[in-house]
Parts: sequence; structure tokens; C-alpha cells
Amino acid sequence: MSAQRTVKIKPNYEVIAWKWMRYTAIVLIPLAWFHMILQDVLVGVHRIDLNYVQMRWAFWGWRVYDFFLLAFAFAHGVNGLRQVLLDYVHSDRGRAILSWGLLFFWIIISLIGAIAIIGGVRIPSA
Amino acid sequence: MSSLKTSFSGYVRYKGRAGHWAFLLHRITGLGTLLFLTIHIVDTAFVYFAPQLYEHAIALYRNPIFMLGEIFLVFSLTYHGVNGLRITIFDLWKPEWWDIHDERKSVMITLIVSIILWLPAAAIMGYNLLKHGFGFFGG
Repeated sequence: MSAQRTVKIKPNYEVIAWKWMRYTAIVLIPLAWFHMILQDVLVGVHRIDLNYVQMRWAFWGWRVYDFFLLAFAFAHGVNGLRQVLLDYVHSDRGRAILSWGLLFFWIIISLIGAIAIIGGVRIPSA
Repeated sequence: MSSLKTSFSGYVRYKGRAGHWAFLLHRITGLGTLLFLTIHIVDTAFVYFAPQLYEHAIALYRNPIFMLGEIFLVFSLTYHGVNGLRITIFDLWKPEWWDIHDERKSVMITLIVSIILWLPAAAIMGYNLLKHGFGFFGG
């Protein structure tokens, strides 16, 4: 048995991101799995249309649920993509472009999703 | 670009066995899920930004090829979740379980649990695909 010592690492960005991936994993397993089982398996894409989304979002609890799912899942995913790409991009310049690009991508897509959840379904007037 | 080529040839040649395959499958399922998630956020946002286009987007998902892809998506999310749980438990609470001798066992358990969880979902979705995609069972 080798001797063990505990090392305290000063929390920098990468440490926080590393923990974020694991904490969000715990939250996302029930959140994303239940969403997937409900929408893809039990309801099914053949039954989803504008009226279905409107009916679902009529209950504000589903909007809160979807908002958390959007926030956790997309941030988890984009940070995962960042980690994968950092394996291939090694120059400081490349990594700076990558980080800013992903930050921009993350903000834009999150905003689009958040606005739709808050704004709700707009049934086109026939 | 050369680093990209080195990485991919390294993935093929590296003999990391079970842990290596789990690592690759985790990445592929994660990237695949993120690709779908991005498209899914945008197409769902159509209900607010362009409701008349929403039905067109959904019509794409009802295409049999997409319904088949959906079954793979459910496997990706299931495997990524089970394997992610394994990584989380090992990293946060049981770092001593990161043992090369036990790796194959935990990787196999992860894969078997994922398949068991996925099969009933795949069966239901497969039924829906045959019924609504191809008109079987009076669909």
C-alpha cells in the first residue's frame, strides 16, 4: 500500500468546469431521461404538433421543467464539446477563438430556447 | 490538422481496451446528442418565432430515417447517462475504483445496463416506426 496524501487544488475555471460536468450529470439523468421517455417513447413524434406543445406549456410547471433542462443540458453539452475540441486545438490563438466561438454559440442558442419557452406557442391565424 | 490526424489514428491504434472503448463511446454519444439537442432547441423555438414552420420541422422527424435515428438517439442518451453516472461516482466518491483491473468489469456492467434500459424503449419506438412510418399494424 503506498502512502496517500490529499492535495487541495485552488479552484480555477477548469476545476469548476470539471465539477460542473459531474453535478449536472446527476441532475440531467432524471431530467433528460424522463423528458426522453415521455416525448420520444410514450407520446411519440407522430402525436406532437403545435397544439400538443401549446397544451403542454399551458401548465407553467412544464415550462419551468423545460427551462432547467435547456439550461443544464445545453451548458453540459457545449462544455463537453469544448473539452473534446481542446484535445485537437493546441495553440493559444486557436483556443481563444474556440472559447469565444463556443461562448457565443452557447449564449445564442440558449437565448433562442429561453425566449421560446417564455413566449410560448403562437398559433398562426388561419 | 496534423494533430487531428494523429488523434484519429491514435484512437484506432491505442490498445486501451475496455476503458478506451468506453471513452470513445462516451464522446460519440455525447457529440451526437449535442448535435440533436442544438437542432431540437431551434426547431422547438419555431413555435414562438415561426409557428407556420414548426409543422414542417416535425414532418422531418416523422420521416422513417429520422425515426430510426431517434432510436439511436435514445441509446446515446441512455448510454451517456449510465456511463456518466459511473464516471461521476468514481470521480466524486470512489476514486479507488479507477483500477485498470476492474475497468473491464465496470465498462461491461455499464454497457449491459444501458442495453437493458434501452431495449423496451427501442421496442416501442420500433413499433411506432413500423406503424406510422410504414403503415404496418393498421397505421
